[in-house]
This record gives sequence, structure tokens and C-alpha cells, in this order.
Amino acid sequence: MFSDDQRAVQAYLDDLLAELPSFEPEAKTADLPLAAIRAVPSPNTAPVAKVATKVQVQPRDSHQEALEQVRRQQLQALLDRSPVPQAVTAAPITATPVPLAETVTPVAEAVVEPQVLAATAVQVREDNSWAENGRPLWAQKHFEVLLCRVSGLTLAVPLVALGHIHPLTEQLTPIFGQAEWFMGLQPTPAGQIRVVNTALFVMPERYDPAFVESARYVITIDGLDWGLAIDQVQQPTRLNPEDVTWRGERSKRPWLAGTIKSAMCALLDIPRMGQMLESQDRNRAKASDPLG
Amino acid sequence: MSKFMNKTNVSPEDPVLQWVTFHLSGETYGVNVMQVQEVLRYSEIAPVPGAPAYVLGIINLRGNVVTVIDTRHRFGLDPGEITDNTRIVIIEAEKHVVGILVDSVAEVVYLRQSEIETAPNIGNDDGAKFIQGVCHKNGELLILIDLNKLLTDDEWADLET
Repeated sequence: MFSDDQRAVQAYLDDLLAELPSFEPEAKTADLPLAAIRAVPSPNTAPVAKVATKVQVQPRDSHQEALEQVRRQQLQALLDRSPVPQAVTAAPITATPVPLAETVTPVAEAVVEPQVLAATAVQVREDNSWAENGRPLWAQKHFEVLLCRVSGLTLAVPLVALGHIHPLTEQLTPIFGQAEWFMGLQPTPAGQIRVVNTALFVMPERYDPAFVESARYVITIDGLDWGLAIDQVQQPTRLNPEDVTWRGERSKRPWLAGTIKSAMCALLDIPRMGQMLESQDRNRAKASDPLG
Repeated sequence: MSKFMNKTNVSPEDPVLQWVTFHLSGETYGVNVMQVQEVLRYSEIAPVPGAPAYVLGIINLRGNVVTVIDTRHRFGLDPGEITDNTRIVIIEAEKHVVGILVDSVAEVVYLRQSEIETAPNIGNDDGAKFIQGVCHKNGELLILIDLNKLLTDDEWADLET
């Protein structure tokens, strides 16, 4: 028997996959180095720590295991600090794929200067291209994603484009006259974050208004002041490009990179989404227009 | 707009501006203090037949007829109740004196120009044009309103008739 959530996930993934011109079965998960790391369905209120303890890890080399352990500790550290209305800083993520050893650098407080933001934003845009093999540049080799729950669905966010994780607080301020999917501005130590109602943005046809109340965190797009509201942060996991059914046609949902059937979730093309969000702001478009 | 700004600071590069803040639907808004003439307690507003939806009606202010604008309607917010804190802020914009109905008036805050950030303008709603900027002050976000854009040129002209 499937729960309503599972049915919703399955229906959503079926819809997404139906858009693909050709569908190939997923690679056998047993062949994958981290195939045992799955998104564990958890109660809505289950903290990530509990999810992490449920992860089943198959025997593998000690180096990988150590890295996984560090990642779990980083995530737990973030979530332990999240109820405090202060900065919750994720591990610094660079906008370009880096060796695995660098992705587990210790959590450090990030000082975001406007100049840095601008420079990184350019980098994000430059990285937003897909190779001829039908994969984004950030997914040419193995890559890591953070699994997030959004209104009953699990979404995978590539760490290569993830900025910080902040708690959503009462300071989230809606602004009138904006698109419906714009939840408002969330003050953070790194500045104002423009919070996107991820559920409404990603699946408007199945939007549940209860998401506004259930969303607890906002994950920011690296280099941009845009963030995605989410219900829960789950464990980070490592994927190979073969784990993903990449979308061939991305004109309809350009932010959707593909689907990960092993985790029953959609993989977001965060650099592309960041580009889309930036282009939505007429004030910024006006400011960047040399003729404007 | 700049002609109304109160440049009290000695630094011409980063002047300090004063803003009257008020509450509307749980959020805090600010308008340039130089455009605020006075703040009135709520009094009976006489509806005007045939007036646009954003006009609540008129009041008699010491012998002068002043049009009161429904700020909630203008900003696309849900209608609110009249309470003891409800105020009519008399403002001057585009050479017109009008009143705007707000939930309550808070205080006057001093903001450096550099503290004011550009507001988002996302979507197709024209309402965002009323926002001059945003500023995080004293733990809350102030939404700064450009009163001169509260009505279009045609709408300002309609108030004359």
C-alpha cells in the first residue's frame, strides 16, 4: 500500500518522465558506489538527524565512509543551529565542481561582499550550460546533491550550486505586488534573501497552500540572493551521472535537470533556476541594461 | 522625489532620510517624512458615488475636502477592519494633498540612503512600482513607498475633478 505522499511522488515523477522523448531504465543501483544511500521516507516532523541514522551504508572503503561521516556531521551541525534565529551557514560551496576532498571542508562563516556576489553570479551563469552528452557541466562526473522535502515531494539540489541554509523565521516579510511564488524577503546575516515558494514554483498544479506554514528552511543559490523554501533537509548523497535520467527537452521546465528514480525525486538545475529567477526581476533587468 | 528628501546629514554622498512608518496588514511601511503633513485619527469618510475603487471617499479637513485613498486596495492587500489605531495620513504628492488609510502609525526612523536596498519587482503586478526600496531596521523590514507613484498621472488628474 502506498501512502498519499508516495502516490503524489509517483504521479509527479510519471508526469515528468512522460515529457522525456525517450526513457531509459535507471542504472542498476547495486552498481553504484553509494547506491545504498537512499532517501528514507520519514515523518514530516522527523529531524534530519533521525533520517541520517536510518541510512543504510553498504561496506565500502574507509575513505568514502569518512567523507560521508563528515558530511552528515556538517548537516547535523547546521540543523542543530537552525532554531536559533541567527545565521546558519552551510559548508562553503564553490560554483565549479571540485575534488571530493574539498567538498568536506569545515563549516565556516561566510562573509558575503556585494562584489563577491556579483562575481559569483557571473560564474553561475557561465556554468549554466549543458554538454553535448546531454548533461550539465556540473554533472560530467560524480556529483553530490542535498535531498530536500517540499510539500511531500523530495527534490535533489546539487551541492555545486548550493549556498547556505537559513531557518525561515517570522521576519520573512512578504512584499505586495510580486509574483505569487515570491514568499518575501528573509533577513539573514548575509543580507536579504529572496525566498521562493518552491512548492508553487515547481508544481503549481499540485500546490498545497499549507506549504507556507510548513516550510522551515530556505536554501540559497550560491552567489545569488535567491533561496528556495523547503520543509526539511535530508541527507546529502553522491550520484553518478548514470543515476539520473537527464531531460532531453528542457523548454517546458528549464529548472528540471532530470529525475533520480532511485531516490524517487526530481533533480533541480539550480544554476538554470538562478538564471531564471534573476531574469524575473524587472528592477535588476533595468539596472543591468546599459541603455535603460 | 529627490526634491522632497530631507537631507539632514552633512554627507552629500550618503544623506540621512527621515521616514514615517506605519503598519498595514502586519507589515511595516515607510513614507518620506517631508511628504507627510499630518496624521489624523480615523473619522467618518464620506463615500463618493462613481469614484474609483481605490478611493474610499472624502473627509473635511478644516474646511478643505481631502480624498482618502484605500491603501490596502492600492497595494492589493485584503480589506482590514477599522480599529482605534487606524489613522489617516495626510500626504502631499504630485502637488496633491490626499489621505491614505493605514492600520496604525508607528514612528519616524532615520535611514541612510546607503541602507536602502532595491526592492524586488517580480511578476506582472503593477503594484511593485509603488515600492521605492526596502530596508532592514531594528529587526524588521521596512517597505519604503514612493508616494508620487501611488497614482498614475491620469489618476492624479482625476482627483481634481
